[in-house]
Amino acid sequence: MKRRRFVQALVAIPAAAPLAAQPPAQAQTGNRGAAAADDPKLEVAAAENAADGVPSFFTPAQFSALRKVSDLLAPPIAGSPGALAAGAPEFLDFLMGKSDAARQAIYRAGLDGLDAHAKQQFNKPFADLDNSQADTLLASLRTPWTFEEPSDPVARFLRAAKSDVRTATANSPASSAGGRRFSGSGLYWYSLD
Amino acid sequence: MPAQDYDVLIIGSGASGGMAAHTLTKKGVNCLMLDAGPLVDFNRVRQTKQAYELPFHGFGEPGRLPHVVQANEFNANQWVDEKEVPFTHDPNKPFNWVRVRMIGGKSLFWARMSFRLSDYEFKAKDHDGFGENWPLDHAELAPFYSRVEPIFRVQGRREGLKQLPDGEFIEDTSPWSESMNRFIVASKRRDVTVTKMRRSLGRGQFASSFNLLLPEAIETGKLTIVPNAVVRDITVDRNTGLVNGANFIDRHSKREMHAKARVVIVGASCLESTRILLNSKIANSSGVLGHYLHDQTYITQGVVAVDKSPGGSGGTAGGYAPRFVNLKKGNEQDFIRGYAFDFNLAGTPDAKYIPAYGAELEKKLADYRGKAASVTIMGEVLPRYENYASIDKNVFDAYGIPVLHFDCKYGDNETKMLKHAMNTFDELCHDSGFETLAKHDKPWPPGYSIHELGTCRMGDDPKKSVLNKWNQSHDIKNLFVVDGSSFVTGGYQNPTMTILSLSMRASEYLMDQMKARNI
Repeated sequence: MKRRRFVQALVAIPAAAPLAAQPPAQAQTGNRGAAAADDPKLEVAAAENAADGVPSFFTPAQFSALRKVSDLLAPPIAGSPGALAAGAPEFLDFLMGKSDAARQAIYRAGLDGLDAHAKQQFNKPFADLDNSQADTLLASLRTPWTFEEPSDPVARFLRAAKSDVRTATANSPASSAGGRRFSGSGLYWYSLD
Repeated sequence: MPAQDYDVLIIGSGASGGMAAHTLTKKGVNCLMLDAGPLVDFNRVRQTKQAYELPFHGFGEPGRLPHVVQANEFNANQWVDEKEVPFTHDPNKPFNWVRVRMIGGKSLFWARMSFRLSDYEFKAKDHDGFGENWPLDHAELAPFYSRVEPIFRVQGRREGLKQLPDGEFIEDTSPWSESMNRFIVASKRRDVTVTKMRRSLGRGQFASSFNLLLPEAIETGKLTIVPNAVVRDITVDRNTGLVNGANFIDRHSKREMHAKARVVIVGASCLESTRILLNSKIANSSGVLGHYLHDQTYITQGVVAVDKSPGGSGGTAGGYAPRFVNLKKGNEQDFIRGYAFDFNLAGTPDAKYIPAYGAELEKKLADYRGKAASVTIMGEVLPRYENYASIDKNVFDAYGIPVLHFDCKYGDNETKMLKHAMNTFDELCHDSGFETLAKHDKPWPPGYSIHELGTCRMGDDPKKSVLNKWNQSHDIKNLFVVDGSSFVTGGYQNPTMTILSLSMRASEYLMDQMKARNI
């Protein structure tokens, strides 16, 4: 039974049945003394292991550029999945859709800028450049880090994407399954009562 | 069953409230403790998960906890929800108020760095003329530090430094690493002392009031703890002018309640205590309640450098350099007071500091693994009247209680100090064979250190201070405030050991006053 229907059924019972007709409480709740260890342990899957995210934030051109730059920033290395196999561009599309306007603007301006520079220098979109051509447009990533954010929109985007793409790749289901050395895990806190 | 009258009501269950309960109940005082948060079953609320199992894959939900830099998607639920209990500030003067509400408070999560203040702090005005002295000195507080340190099992190394008094340590005899020995040689040339970190080992997984103070207090049969009790204000007997309890709201039911007691001790953390007093409209004949808000400037990753020598394996590869500037007359900098370095020489640099990407970046990260120096710079902030917290009468939390508004920023002294700190650590790295990848001197906004201090400061003059030297209100003799709000200056040292010692001392003074029937 789908969860929603199950919940609806639970809600419907007391509303429809007169109090006198309700079964004894013990019959409803089962054997409370049974050990929790007796409960079945059902194996479930992460959504991303069973389905694909649907990109919806970036334009097709921006998303193509994001896929290209993601592949350059986090390529597959020594058997570990790269950004594309990890679904990092698709995840970042989702994340940016939930992010504030300032962060969205950094990505949109940066990806548009990469495409504009590519067309200006190589007469084709960034996504269609070969790696050596694309490398020339990523030159700002070879300059020393400064505390201040770069003023150039492409450089600012690349700085953000360098971190985000690596994290999205490392923290993906594919990286976990693929044995990427630095995939993330931690002690998760549930909501406090 | 009608509620009973307690001898002492303690508001807050963290380091300060926990120590008050620990001290008073052992002397037979009947205490009631209220805390705004729940009693947490840590085995039930925490579970190891992979980042991909979280909705935002470890990035965190965008827009949640905008002021808590320390928050991530794993621990987001441990911090106070900023929508449930908001606060306000000028957009151009950010203040990062980082809060925890659960039994044990922030003592569940502190960095455990355990230092004493010295007379460079207690008598700072005598040294450089700025601000006010504390109404006590290290010698007066030393016996209490010496009793607190064994409870928290502080590990450290005795150095005989005037600016960082030694304590009752579990001696740290571990050897230094090869890179640390190089760093220490370079440091000595500049009169910088490097010592082992002084850290509370605690017991089990915590060094907290939760496990070190409250269980023994409960064992006496003299402590009643009520969790989920959000204190609105402290109540006053109109006939006597004395406090007689507190109004609080049950966190789950939102039911209004009142607890009665002969004495009230406030230890809800510096700013929550200040908020309660301001909302109660008491203890402020001086007009300084909420003012002199200060903390410590924090720069994380102030310098990131990599070791260019082959190095050696083994040994402790991190240390602590306490204040070394402005200690001697005639050798002053262009700023007053000082700072400390908490550093590590065997880390791996964040990828953002390496000017490369892709396979080249991963290769460099592998090469640098375990060879990177990084430092957290912790600087003293001058307590200034114009930095303050007040009540924002237009904004209320989920319990209908007016929230705090902050007006606080760092000044020129802090800016000059941090520049000096960054350059000094950079030079020490260079002199000990490291190559700098990145450096900066920009601190996190005020509040980041979670060391808020000074808003109910103590002093001998009731016109300039909220509390006397015993953490007792100048205005109301049966009201005590025992947390970091009582500090006059904070130095560069993490404040927890001083908070614990002051709370123990104030509680014993209260006992004496109760016995003498002065309270």
